Amino acid sequence: MALVGVALALSTQFSTQVLLAHPMEGTNAGFVQSVDGPAPGPFLYLGAKHMVTGYDHLLFLVGVIFFLYRLKDVVLYVSLFTLGHSLTLLLGVLADVSVNAYVIDTIIGLSVVYKGFENINGFERLFNVKPNTRIAVLVFGLFHGLGLATKLQEFMVSKNGLVANILSFNVGVEIGQILALLGVVALLSYWRTRPSFLSYSFAANTALMVGGFLLAGIQIVDFVLFS
Amino acid sequence: MAEPAALPTLRKILLATAGALVAAAALLFGAILPAEYGIDPLGTGRLLGLLALGQSQPLATEEGEYRTDRAELTLYPAEWVEYFYRLEQGSNMVFTWEATGPVTYNFHASPDGAPAGYAESFDAQDRANGHGTYTAPFTGIHGWYWENVGTEKITLTLTTSGFYTSAHEGRARASGYKPLTDIRGNAVPSVP
Repeated sequence: MALVGVALALSTQFSTQVLLAHPMEGTNAGFVQSVDGPAPGPFLYLGAKHMVTGYDHLLFLVGVIFFLYRLKDVVLYVSLFTLGHSLTLLLGVLADVSVNAYVIDTIIGLSVVYKGFENINGFERLFNVKPNTRIAVLVFGLFHGLGLATKLQEFMVSKNGLVANILSFNVGVEIGQILALLGVVALLSYWRTRPSFLSYSFAANTALMVGGFLLAGIQIVDFVLFS
Repeated sequence: MAEPAALPTLRKILLATAGALVAAAALLFGAILPAEYGIDPLGTGRLLGLLALGQSQPLATEEGEYRTDRAELTLYPAEWVEYFYRLEQGSNMVFTWEATGPVTYNFHASPDGAPAGYAESFDAQDRANGHGTYTAPFTGIHGWYWENVGTEKITLTLTTSGFYTSAHEGRARASGYKPLTDIRGNAVPSVP
């Protein structure tokens, strides 16, 4: 019941959210290309789908809330991330700013590595500094949003209904993020009640770094081959 | 609940980070590159049989008989015609058609065994030509309806190639005709 409470609290406080270091595929991409005019339903769905199936984004979220024990902190950090995302997604698409998607996605992969490294106290040990985690989350949020803006622009041919579609997509991403967080928060909350959490948190964050390196590596390969 | 009191040693942190990098590189070069990109720097793709996954298949062969048909259809004002084909599911057809005047057109198909009068419409609009490919989503009859919406007599030229088994022209409704609708509720001309 406590988890349901957490979920409800989260769902009412988060604003728009985004993700996306993976491409749109097949029929979805074909649909987005053919859209001419507002299509809130499909874009809402696509936003949510990209969130729930975006393991790059999910891994980063796991890293961010791994050591956040208090709901207040979870909400604060995820809101910062959301703020960053939404800003670059909306401004990026509206101002027609796009960057190389592979470069952005490499940075997003490395953001997962960064978070894992931070969680095993790497920065404290290596550089004797404790980085400002709030600013880091906000900055990485900006990159995640820029990645999304770039992807959407590759596909969106028509400017007709652009704002409505971007906003729908953004709201969809928010819904997707809440769904994803439900699972992540539930699992982490349960795991924290077990002694194995502290014993294996180091290993878990090392695994997070493996995932981040892998995501970044794949994007570097794509960059070399297709850019 | 508290965080661990003591920080991990620097050695442990560096080992874990380096280990993570090596593990990711091993997965990337050993499995993902061969399976997803067809690149096999370590030879593991051949060893594990992963290379086959990375090879795309741009060429497809078909079982059916290859046919080419060309039809010239004359339509007086307000006259309509249907031209349709039998295609197996997944069979392909390349088409091009051009009319000398404006027509209302509709491409639709009826699966085998569907209730009488049922058809799915894939495209419907007013235009004077169309070119493209069609892949049958199901086994059944598939084809065009054209209606001369102008005031002059027109000629419509249709050329198709592909793996269909029959091509027919139809100008008369079957007896007991009633108006058809597709899954979206739009009116669809019947296939006689």
